[in-house]
Amino acid sequence: MRIVVGMKWVPGTQSVRIDPKTGTLIREGVPSIVNPHDLPAVELALRLRDKYGGEVIALSMSPPPAIKGLEYLIGMGVDRAILLTDRVYAGADTLATSYALANAIRKIDAEIGKVDLAVFGQETTDSSTAHIPAQTASWLNWPYVYYVRDAWLTEDGKLRVERILENAIEEWELDMPAIISIAMKSIKPRPVSLLNKIRFKTNPSTLITWTNSYMNLDVRCVGLKGSPTFVAKTVDVPEVPRKKIVYKPKDGEDAARWILKSLLSDEKASRALLKALRGSSGGEGS
Amino acid sequence: MSSTSIPSKFDVAVVGAGPAGSATAYLLAKKGFKVLLVERGRGLGDKQLFGGRVYAQPLREVWPELDKEAPIQRWVTRERVSLVSGDKALTLEFKGGERKSFTALLPQLVAWMQRKAEQAGAIFATEATVDEIMFKDGKAVGIRSGNDVVYADVTVDAEGVNRLLLERAGIVPRLSPDHIALGVKEVLRTGSSQLEAAFGIGSDEGVAWVVVGDVTRGVPGGGFIYTNKDTVSIGVVIHLKHAINAIESGQLNNHVYELVEGFRLHPYFRNLWHGATISEYGGHLTIEGGLSFAPKRLVYPGLLVVGDAAGLLLSTGINYRGVDYAVYSGKLAAEAIEYAASHGGLTYDNLLEYERKVKDSFMYRDLVRHRAVEMLMNDPTMFSKLAEVFIGLFSQMFEQDYSVPTPYEAFTGALTEHNMSLNKLMSYMITAVRGL
Amino acid sequence: MSATVQATNKQSPEPKPMKLEDILQSDVWNVDEEPHIVVDYSKCEKCPTKPCIYLCPAGCYTLAGNRVVFSYEGCVECGTCRVICPMDAITWNYPKSGHGIMYRFT
Ligand SMILES: Cc1cc2nc3c(=O)[nH]c(=O)nc-3n(C[C@H](O)[C@H](O)[C@H](O)COP(=O)(O)OP(=O)(O)OC[C@H]3O[C@@H](n4cnc5c(N)ncnc54)[C@H](O)[C@@H]3O)c2cc1C
Ligand code: SF4
Ligand code: SF4
Repeated sequence: MRIVVGMKWVPGTQSVRIDPKTGTLIREGVPSIVNPHDLPAVELALRLRDKYGGEVIALSMSPPPAIKGLEYLIGMGVDRAILLTDRVYAGADTLATSYALANAIRKIDAEIGKVDLAVFGQETTDSSTAHIPAQTASWLNWPYVYYVRDAWLTEDGKLRVERILENAIEEWELDMPAIISIAMKSIKPRPVSLLNKIRFKTNPSTLITWTNSYMNLDVRCVGLKGSPTFVAKTVDVPEVPRKKIVYKPKDGEDAARWILKSLLSDEKASRALLKALRGSSGGEGS
Repeated sequence: MSSTSIPSKFDVAVVGAGPAGSATAYLLAKKGFKVLLVERGRGLGDKQLFGGRVYAQPLREVWPELDKEAPIQRWVTRERVSLVSGDKALTLEFKGGERKSFTALLPQLVAWMQRKAEQAGAIFATEATVDEIMFKDGKAVGIRSGNDVVYADVTVDAEGVNRLLLERAGIVPRLSPDHIALGVKEVLRTGSSQLEAAFGIGSDEGVAWVVVGDVTRGVPGGGFIYTNKDTVSIGVVIHLKHAINAIESGQLNNHVYELVEGFRLHPYFRNLWHGATISEYGGHLTIEGGLSFAPKRLVYPGLLVVGDAAGLLLSTGINYRGVDYAVYSGKLAAEAIEYAASHGGLTYDNLLEYERKVKDSFMYRDLVRHRAVEMLMNDPTMFSKLAEVFIGLFSQMFEQDYSVPTPYEAFTGALTEHNMSLNKLMSYMITAVRGL
Repeated sequence: MSATVQATNKQSPEPKPMKLEDILQSDVWNVDEEPHIVVDYSKCEKCPTKPCIYLCPAGCYTLAGNRVVFSYEGCVECGTCRVICPMDAITWNYPKSGHGIMYRFT
């Protein structure tokens, strides 16, 4: 099997600052990381390769610093990585990004070999739209299933996936080529291995860079120009520092007492509590 | 994927890409050795923390281009030493001029060294923690990280002060609080013009400032201040053995960050960084008493130990030399490996050249000469007492309403005020002077 | 990515102490999903002085009542707890795969 796995290079902390004037992220000084939700996708792709043979190719549309992230995936065992990078790709929304990714997958199919499966993370920590896999599937006209947590091949060469929903586990069967996205935290990613890092450093062909002069995409469809979405407004929600308190109650009643006492000792919380109580007793009902 | 194409045999495997490991790998790769440099951190230099000043000359022996290329923050032109007691402080300043030492941000400086090693041809593998040095028949044969094994004719241990690998190999005992101090540091961003005005320096000047006395609430240790381009590095270092004792006796019942905070808010110092923002906070262990921390040998069959792991760090309470010692020991290790290779092979006997070179070096000589000072530093009362007495002396001399004491009266007054006998003071001074 | 030492308000020149959790906001981690340090709490119960509470620079050890609670996420990998623990309660390792603290300036 040839499996393509998507990777996004995202700011490394929860507290990403947003430029209030332009609505874009401020990445200055904050080192980036591989989008954590992509790692289960990489792990599943590697497991499928280890079981059925073939290769895993990581794909990312990013400025060149994302090479660090692709290096991480190669460290985990991905066979090679492709960086789609060009100034004209900058400022892309999910539509323009998925357009470029879909075309890159086509290109891999044509130039490297048949692609059977593309795997993505459920969403990214810095924008959480979860659009990319679905939109990429639409461009390619491939079947798409999301919230997947396991996958295997059937005897007649179809892909079977297990989907995890809030109250159900489903199994689906797909014709390949297909696209799946993996449920957050559903699969534990393997650590980086020393030999794979050495492979990355000693074998230059593990990293391939494709610019637009090679991709030849219509510049009206990529980057800022190809992006109909714009950020109308962002509201900076300051992080609320939370205090962890561990209380070991004697019994249920003690626990209830303690929670009530703690809530009542906080002015805001006690007001909210009183309001809620009044509401539930049918008083005002807001 | 064909795993057979991955090289898994090197001439030299270096564990840890701090100053010591990076220098070793750089010099050996430049000489054509097949070198693997392994670092557990991800970004370049991102596990590095130190105080803030590096002595340049030993580094120039490895990188003659240092002055021009390295990420130097400021050349140190002024040395300040303050004795602090309560809100009072006594400060000495020495104005030097030549380019002897510079301030730096260690992640940036080490990133520069790592890039040099990689450019010279070393294979630099990041994000890989080495779990074990592999031995066969009493000889180190390589390293293991997770399930991966890499073989090497020589392994160089440059893992730093927290020597998990040497401990696991049974070469050194478990790290004990006796020879270890904890440094806690903040980087304060003030902007360069405010910094220069506050410290009274020009744009091409820098300050290295050592603070002794009760910045560490009586726990032996001290404080430091280094001026960078537009930030100030401040921090405290406390001896862990004494910190534990102070906790047991109830003398220390604050969190260690409050010591740095007390220093940052100290009325004598705080205006130096008025209105600053904290850019970073962190902590790191360091060695107290270099030679007693050193492993029995620096050379074992197939294995050399360099830098902090080898106990090669000089801390006198005033001077602090770790980075330059680490780099210099890396240089000596690289030279010894080269010597061995050209004298019949990387045998144990040939590699012993490294130990000979260390013993002949300025590092070893200084570590031996400063043993007395280390003993002095280990005396919990010494710094706070000395600070109290000298500040007492100056306050007797300057803080007066009517009558001016003679210097002798001021001196004896200060001694009695602080319960210090002349004998005791003399013995402190003699130990200190003998060490110097 | 920075915490203010003091308000630049000219009216109040007295700088104020800060909470450790606020100071730690200036740091960046890439936290591993699995803890690299494991504490055997049963030993902590018998530990007379609990020096980790005072000496872990990142405040990873806290007291809840008189029980010790350890959280590895903010660890700066200094090794202090490993050195000072009198009960040998700590299994200490570095985080895997480049995870953990990422210093930029110190
Ligand atoms: C608070 C403080 C202040 C200091 N101030 C100064 C100063 O002002 N001037 C000065 O010259 N020195 C100073 N030092 C000392 C100086 O930082 C050290 O002496 C120097 O960094 C030692 O270099 P090293 O290469 O031996 O070890 P380190 O710098 O500790 O490097 C070791 C490297 O190995 C890596 N590593 C460790 N174990 C493994 C493993 N198992 N697998 C893979 N990688 C591993 C680590 O991530 C690290 O990058 C200070 C130290 C401290 C703590
Ligand atoms: S020092 Fe060790 S035994 Fe004591 S409380 Fe801390 S972790 Fe537990
Ligand atoms: S290694 Fe250092 S920062 Fe981490 S938990 Fe231990 S004492 Fe705290």
